Amino acid sequence: MRPGIQLLRSGRSIDVRPKVLEFSAHRIPLCLRLQQRRNITSDEKPLPESEQPKGPNQDQLPHVSEEAAATGDITGEGGPDVEQGSPVQEILKRDQKSQEKAPKVLQEELKASSPKGSRSYSTSTPRRAQAMIDPESAEVQNQGHIFGLPELPLPSTSHLKHRYDPVIHQVTNLLMQDGKLSKAQRNMAMILERLRTAPPPTPDPRHPLILGAPPTNHLPLNPILYLTLAIDSVAPLLRIRSQKGAAGGGVALQIPIPLGLRQRRRTAVMWILDAAIKKRTKGSGRAMFAHKIADELIAIVEGKSTVWDRRGGVHKLGTAARANLSFGNRRR
Amino acid sequence: MVEVNVKGAKKTFTKKKKKLQKVDRGKKPAVGERKALRKRVVLSNTNALEVEGLKDITAQSMIDDSLRGHVLAIPGPVVDQLRAVEAFKVTQGWPLFRRPSMLIRKDTLDMATEIENISLGIGDKTIRRVFVGERGSGKTTMLLQAMTMAFLKDWVVINIPQAQDLILAQTEYGPLPSTTPTLYTQRTYTASLLNAISRANPILQTLQLSQPPAENEIPIPVPPNISLSRLALLGAEDPEIAWPIFELLYRELTLPDRPPLLLCMDGLAHAMRNTHYISNTYQPIHAHQFTIIKWFLDHLSGTSPLPNAGLVLASTSESNSPVVPALKLALGQLEGNSAVRKDPFAKYDERVLGVFEGGGVEVKRMGGLSKEEARGLMEYWALSGVVRQRVDDGFVGEKWCLSGGGCVGELERAVVRMRV
Repeated sequence: MRPGIQLLRSGRSIDVRPKVLEFSAHRIPLCLRLQQRRNITSDEKPLPESEQPKGPNQDQLPHVSEEAAATGDITGEGGPDVEQGSPVQEILKRDQKSQEKAPKVLQEELKASSPKGSRSYSTSTPRRAQAMIDPESAEVQNQGHIFGLPELPLPSTSHLKHRYDPVIHQVTNLLMQDGKLSKAQRNMAMILERLRTAPPPTPDPRHPLILGAPPTNHLPLNPILYLTLAIDSVAPLLRIRSQKGAAGGGVALQIPIPLGLRQRRRTAVMWILDAAIKKRTKGSGRAMFAHKIADELIAIVEGKSTVWDRRGGVHKLGTAARANLSFGNRRR
Repeated sequence: MVEVNVKGAKKTFTKKKKKLQKVDRGKKPAVGERKALRKRVVLSNTNALEVEGLKDITAQSMIDDSLRGHVLAIPGPVVDQLRAVEAFKVTQGWPLFRRPSMLIRKDTLDMATEIENISLGIGDKTIRRVFVGERGSGKTTMLLQAMTMAFLKDWVVINIPQAQDLILAQTEYGPLPSTTPTLYTQRTYTASLLNAISRANPILQTLQLSQPPAENEIPIPVPPNISLSRLALLGAEDPEIAWPIFELLYRELTLPDRPPLLLCMDGLAHAMRNTHYISNTYQPIHAHQFTIIKWFLDHLSGTSPLPNAGLVLASTSESNSPVVPALKLALGQLEGNSAVRKDPFAKYDERVLGVFEGGGVEVKRMGGLSKEEARGLMEYWALSGVVRQRVDDGFVGEKWCLSGGGCVGELERAVVRMRV
């Protein structure tokens, strides 16, 4: 069937997209990007309230004394104190009848103007309301603090589970074998020490590092930046998914899939580990594994590593298969 | 076997080729090369910043109380001497900084005063001391600091860098004739020790042999008026005569008008038990039957006094130390720890207890740094570019607490080697 002539449409659709201001990760200087925003569960963000009606055992009647307190409030008699259990003496003072029937000891106590064997010290516990001193009152602020009060909100690194740099955290976990985290952490420390003491790398213009990288002679004194730079520079932007049978005739279709930041880094680290394990050990002892990885990282910055070829291969395949990009979209 | 590829017909079985295994044809490292790389002591990091205004420690400034909590650099010639006696250890943090430097802590100043007094002939002639303390509290570094100051004062230093080397059966041994119980010499080790003594103590070049040795004492002719340095090298070149030469050299060093001596040993517990060597009756040999260990322990126990005064220092280890109940008991009692009692069921080595029986051995427990000292050290780290944080009271207090009250090794782990 022939399509009817459509005057108002051009033969080919033209996409006119407003140019979006590119806020890509590459534009932000590396030093600023290193401190990632980490979302942490905290008290600042209370759990959302459910909008559904309450269940059968929610929203029940208050406790007896709470009810009595409420009644006392209304009548003006002043019922029991909810904050505290009310002492028997207090009830006796209010109630004449029960005073007569009270035990002798209590009756004598009531008659006496002051207790006979009064102690020089107090045995009563302070009321909770008094114990909770308002932290913003002038009294507290005037007290000296040895190190001053911390600035709020606390930095994300002071959270127990997020105290390390995100790259360090991720790479350490990827180094781990058989769940031995402590060993992986020791290896990580040795990698950083190797980066610190190795001579500064000479960069290769054919394999440029990511934008915003400082001059390479600054790197050894900032080994975490060194590590991040090597990993981020060699990290692939995409992976290739082979969709079985999508090309027809049982042939797999190569579809490029973009990767997120952590995924990119993970791929790069796995490539680095692959390359490092194949290296020959020069010395002996427990530092050798760490040294091989550190040497591979240095080789990346110097553009000598084979990981660059691996990255180039994936990107080339991605470019070749970009026509298949729409396949994934069509299915949705 | 013919493979017939007819549609529908079954393929005949074909044997798959075995995959060729990758053979590493690269050059293999030479014998001992890998170990040498592992044991290599690196004392400089060209990446680290040079600390401005870093002063060298000198014979005059080492007793200056105002330098407490400061870091002073070790002068170049002394570094070479310390290298020769193997005072630097691989596990220490030297490779992180531009040049080897040391913190002047209270114990260092005390030691400096003692060295000064002994040099001037005031007070005790000989101090015999064992350093104990937590792992990473600076016991080995105290030995290094003592050696540094002794070199600055032109003393003669004899250092046994690790007692374990003497008992592991990795160096050759042989019985010493006409000794009961049989003593054993380690000639190769003695030769290397003589070499270290000769290279580390340039003062030996100025000292001469006082009288020619007896005929049957040394198997080779020794020229008269030979310098002690040359004498030591004679022994270093020929392991056969290393032990007689060592004895002769030591006798010469204890003559009147010779410089004071500093004797050091690290890893004391290893020298207090049976070795891995065996006797001709297939019994393990006790460490005290080895001449070098016996020579050192005689000085530690006070059996052989040092006529020209000096220091005898030993250090225990917490990370590489066999369990020796007798040593633990003796050191605990000497330290005045009332909680250390004799266990009725444990076996105590009488020979080990005998070392400390004579009295006069001090046990010095290395504690943590004070906050001021910790701050001085951390400022040095920051100036070297190793620490990137601002060093203020809060930071110092936090790390000081984190390191268990200023344990130096832990402080370094928390500040320099932490993965933050």
